[in-house]
Amino acid sequence: MPARTVVFLSVLTLLGFGEVAFAQAPSPGKDLKATILLHGFPCDTIVSSQRNGDSDYTASCKDGNRYHVFVDNSGRVVVKKL
Amino acid sequence: MKTSRRRVVAALSHITCSLPVVLGVTACVHQAGHESAAPAVAAPPAAASPPQPSLTPPTAPAGNGPTEAQAPPSQPPAAANARTPGTAPKAPASVPRPTSSPRSAPLASAPPPVASAPALDLKALEQRLRDTSAIGVFTKLTLKNQVDDLLAQFKAFHEGHSQATLAQLRQKYEELLLKVVSLLQDGDPALASAISASREAIWNVLTDPKKFANI
Repeated sequence: MPARTVVFLSVLTLLGFGEVAFAQAPSPGKDLKATILLHGFPCDTIVSSQRNGDSDYTASCKDGNRYHVFVDNSGRVVVKKL
Repeated sequence: MKTSRRRVVAALSHITCSLPVVLGVTACVHQAGHESAAPAVAAPPAAASPPQPSLTPPTAPAGNGPTEAQAPPSQPPAAANARTPGTAPKAPASVPRPTSSPRSAPLASAPPPVASAPALDLKALEQRLRDTSAIGVFTKLTLKNQVDDLLAQFKAFHEGHSQATLAQLRQKYEELLLKVVSLLQDGDPALASAISASREAIWNVLTDPKKFANI
């Protein structure tokens, strides 16, 4: 990385723009974990997730639980324990 | 070569000599900017605490508790003046009061709008929830589903078709709000606090049949 870039990023961070500059959506793992938890299922950490299609995932949690997370035809998010 | 070196040395010495002056001017400008900026920030209704520091000089004579606590920010210039003569307390007490009292009039009129400030803007909150990057798409959709479920329960309650009591609905509402706030508080703390601050206002809308019908 060029020195100028490093200096520029350091200055941004010092000025408090770090969060703004690097703000982005949460990772799919975090999104899936939050969704699973919102449905009342246990999941400490997502260790792997597989995309089956549009809005359709299979997530594996560290505690061994596996879930099928998808959006049904009526627009509802469904979490099924596998 | 020697002449150029001398010129450089002379220029450097000039800069080092004038540096304190520049810093002093900068500090003055900086302070002036803060002083001028404070009322501008205080004028908007929402924030209750920021405007008060600027109010301290004018309200100090009133002898309110909070104003006394806010006095220290305005004291430094007074303290600086007090170091030279022994008549420190008289000068700061008399000088700032007359100058600040005219400013206090518009600022003193600010609190009433502050009291009415927590006006609820459900559309804006909804849009902010849609736009926030603190939570993912699945999470947003799940929350939307749960909000719709709760709204359906309130609708049934207002139509007299629900067996749920208002206390049970309140508990569900609190749980859902807690979920939303806990999901947002790390990634979008401003939105989380805005939703928390609107808790009672939203509840009032949900429990009032007329307001609920307008949602």
